[in-house]
Amino acid sequence: MKPREPYRNRIEMVQGTLDMLILQTLKWGAQHGYGIGQAIRAGSEDVLRVETGSLYPALHRLEKQGWVKSEWGQSENKQRAKYYALTAAGRKHLAAEQSRWGRVSAAIASLMKTQRSEA
Amino acid sequence: MKRMWEWVKRRLSRDEEWREEIESHLAMREEWHLGRGSTEEEARAAARKQFGSPLAAAEQVRAVHIRPWVESAMQDAAYALRGFRRAPGFTLVACLTIAVGIGASTAVYSVIDPLLFRRLPYPRDNQLVSLGYFGPVDSNEFNVVASYLEWKKQQTAFQAMTSMRPGEHCDLLEGTAPVRLDCYRVEANFLKTFGAAPARGRDFTADDDRPGAPEVALISWGLWRSAFGGSEAVIGKTVTVDDQPVRVVGVLGRDFEMPQRGEVEIMMPERLDTRQGRARNASSFLRTFARLREGVSMEEARARMEPLFEATARVDVPAELRSEVRLVVRGLRDRQIHEVKLASWMLLGAVMGLLVAACANVANLLVARAAARRRELALRAAIGASRARLVRQTLTESLMLGLAGCVAGCGIGWALLRILVSLAPEGLLRLREARMDARVLAFALAASAASALLFGMAPALERPRVEAMTAWSAAGPARTLFRRVLVAAQVAISLVLLTGASLLVRSLWKLESEPLGFDGEHVVAASLAPRTRHYPTAAARTAFFNELERRLGRIPGAGSFALTDSLPPAGGEMGRPYSNIRIEGHPPVAQNGGMVLFRWVTPGYFETMGIPIVAGRGFREEERGAGEPPLILSAGLARRLFGREDPIGKHIDLEASGHWCTVVGVAGDVKNSGLREAPDPEYYRLRMKTEAPGGLDVAAVYRTPLDRATLGRWIRREVRELDPALPVTIASMDERVGRLRQQPRFVASLVTVFAGLGLTLAAVGLYGVLSFVVAQRTREIGVRMAMGARPGKIALEVEKYAGTWTGIGVAAGAAGSVALGRAMRGLLFGVSPYDAGSLIVAAGVLAAAAALAALVPAWRAARVDPAVALRHE
Amino acid sequence: MKRGDRLQGSLDLLVLKTLQKGANHGFGITVHVQEVSGGLLRVEEGSLYPALHRMEREKLIAGAWRTTENGRRARFYKLTAAGGRRLAEEEANWASVALGVERMLRPA
Repeated sequence: MKPREPYRNRIEMVQGTLDMLILQTLKWGAQHGYGIGQAIRAGSEDVLRVETGSLYPALHRLEKQGWVKSEWGQSENKQRAKYYALTAAGRKHLAAEQSRWGRVSAAIASLMKTQRSEA
Repeated sequence: MKRMWEWVKRRLSRDEEWREEIESHLAMREEWHLGRGSTEEEARAAARKQFGSPLAAAEQVRAVHIRPWVESAMQDAAYALRGFRRAPGFTLVACLTIAVGIGASTAVYSVIDPLLFRRLPYPRDNQLVSLGYFGPVDSNEFNVVASYLEWKKQQTAFQAMTSMRPGEHCDLLEGTAPVRLDCYRVEANFLKTFGAAPARGRDFTADDDRPGAPEVALISWGLWRSAFGGSEAVIGKTVTVDDQPVRVVGVLGRDFEMPQRGEVEIMMPERLDTRQGRARNASSFLRTFARLREGVSMEEARARMEPLFEATARVDVPAELRSEVRLVVRGLRDRQIHEVKLASWMLLGAVMGLLVAACANVANLLVARAAARRRELALRAAIGASRARLVRQTLTESLMLGLAGCVAGCGIGWALLRILVSLAPEGLLRLREARMDARVLAFALAASAASALLFGMAPALERPRVEAMTAWSAAGPARTLFRRVLVAAQVAISLVLLTGASLLVRSLWKLESEPLGFDGEHVVAASLAPRTRHYPTAAARTAFFNELERRLGRIPGAGSFALTDSLPPAGGEMGRPYSNIRIEGHPPVAQNGGMVLFRWVTPGYFETMGIPIVAGRGFREEERGAGEPPLILSAGLARRLFGREDPIGKHIDLEASGHWCTVVGVAGDVKNSGLREAPDPEYYRLRMKTEAPGGLDVAAVYRTPLDRATLGRWIRREVRELDPALPVTIASMDERVGRLRQQPRFVASLVTVFAGLGLTLAAVGLYGVLSFVVAQRTREIGVRMAMGARPGKIALEVEKYAGTWTGIGVAAGAAGSVALGRAMRGLLFGVSPYDAGSLIVAAGVLAAAAALAALVPAWRAARVDPAVALRHE
Repeated sequence: MKRGDRLQGSLDLLVLKTLQKGANHGFGITVHVQEVSGGLLRVEEGSLYPALHRMEREKLIAGAWRTTENGRRARFYKLTAAGGRRLAEEEANWASVALGVERMLRPA
């Protein structure tokens, strides 16, 4: 049996959700990987933390789907970094995902709210 | 118990259950669709579509259950390998120890297996029995034709009963030169009773087995290949056996074996004559075998045969032997192995003891290592590894060690077997048949696995304690106690082995120095066995012997020379009943006296063999013409017949036949029945010039300065000129005698080797424990040294510690040794099984080894530097 | 890649939550989730059973064969005490994910 750690260290986001959050971050302009991670952390007010290990595979996946495109550039502190930007398709996908999230989270919420029966 | 069975059943039906669960889901979905107005077909299709592949789902379910198990097993193995790589010294020692144990036991097992455990090469071999009279005349049960016919007619215990004549040599004339072969005459139902059939041609029929029927023969597979080139044309061919035409009707199977394990090359029908008078048939010798009826036990068969035995014995057994003859009904396997059984078990026991000692040693190493890894294990326990998981981990390690030991052990076993085969005396333990086959490998594997469990159990049962993480604490009292008990057990096993070895070596010494009653040094014997048909009349025999004596006696420089009909020890002749002897003017001798051996010798015999004449005189050349035959008694026989009276000049009738001899001398006793037995009573008759003894076997003995080969050439040349078809066997007396000592020597040296290995293991084990204890108590020792304890005292304490546990082991081992002594009584000679000397010697050797093993740790303890020790974490 | 589009990560949550209302079999769980979510959430049936068995191994749920009201044999699962604790964790986890995502998505 695997030892259980406190849930805070272990926030699992389903893959679709992470994709959506990345796209959402890029809405405000191109960003490099580290910046995306920071933005998610800041945007969720420290509730969500994206691990590097899942961030980069997600970016590659999005690029392959044609939702983001990348380009080498220089960061504020003069370091070479890869910048990701939203494509038109990505913008459309984001909109679709947002509405799906809304419905799904509502559905889960309703499931959560249902009264506990005499189990 | 019932719950356990249900658990097993559930485990086995798990796959079924998983499938059923998914099927029930699909069925419910179908119902659901049906409830919404679909047709049955639509419902089924929809349900399938929604679900996806049920097979894939079942496969995934299985993976949920199986994968963690496989993964953790792989993890355990990888973890164990890492651990071994980190401790190569430990791994090497452990592997070698277990390999020595496995190797030795595998080699011995491969020797013992065909003897003790193999099935006999006959179908339903446990139904086969050997039966007959058992008495002082032969070492195996025998029968006589008259009784056998009676038994066969009236018995109720057996499905079949069959008989054979004792093996003989016969001469096959095929091509130009005669070949001497091993021949047996058997009853027509012989093969059938053993469930065997000829590989080619046909079996004997009842017609073949009638007196006067044309002679037919079955030949062995080997003879068929060698003499007839394996040609089918041999069936029906007429060959010449002992000058008689014999038609070959078949070939025996390649694996066919005679029930008494003799070599057979030609088998011919026995042709018992049922019409002959009882008296004649009563002296006609047979071996009888039978197959038990279905459901009849050996004991029952014995009980049913007893009345038949009583009835026939009264008629067929000579009155003077009757009270000494009993019925024997025993399993065929029993008959085959009884001679080597004790030695075999002895060796197996010794080597198993060695294996257990090796296991104890490895267990000790593992426990020591586990103690060193206590913190690591406790850490793993703390991060959630379950107890069961840790136990499995340790057992995986032991099993891997066991496996490595098994592989190395098989190599060692193979090498040992080669050595054993080359060392063992000819014919002993049937080493020819020993080989590493699948059974032996299975044994090695089983022994390794059992050992791994044995030595793995100890560390596996150690509970990793969380406290172990926090402090450098001494090992718990229970744990050290366990280790000490292991050492004591090892010491005990070694003591048992050493005592056994010491007993065997001491009896061997006794055997080596046991006087044989003759001096075999520089004595060469040439044995001849002329065929009766070449010398059919008494006159022909007499002429042959006289000529033989003349020719062999004229070999220049050959030294003193004599002829005899048999050679000591183990004269081989059957002897005569003691109770037949009459002394002139004396009352009849006792009724029961067993058998008395006799030899027909020429006057030079006593001088040549170095047998002293203790009273009276030897034979004289001039007595060989005519007159009352002179007689020489062995000292033992003289004592029995005459007590303190002087036997010289007394008249004796040896066979209650009215034929009187005069006692002219008394010769020293000779150990004829082997070194272990008391000398048999024996008398010597003089070979007369005018009348040869009845038998044809003859041996020439020389006390000679010539070497065997030179003399042998001379002898062969002389014999060839006399009878070109007569083969000669030449052997020195030392060789003949040496053969008697070979088996005890072999067993003693093997057990000694095992004992030596056991001793080494015990010493290594003790050394390991003491080193560990000293290392563990370094700090305590340091403190005491800092407070002024003298190094000598510390060293002495370590030695004392070793002494205590060795002592306990010795005490336990002494008890075991006594039990062992009882079991091996039959292998001992001239030494009591409870011989205190052997025990003391063994204990002394052990104590010395223990003291030596403790020396280094003691010295290390004495040299502990308090300053360093106190910093020692 | 498809897995991510479904609510794979929340499958445990949905199953545990469903069982909190009472023991149920696999089919019942899919029906319940679908009904309560108004058809929005759908449990992928093929992956439900591996998940159930995994959770049973982890002793979050316990299964036993029983007969349904329709007289059909089915394996019923019920929540264990450990499963209840896990459910609480999963619910809290979900709540914080939902909170984080809401914050991200709300128009700045």
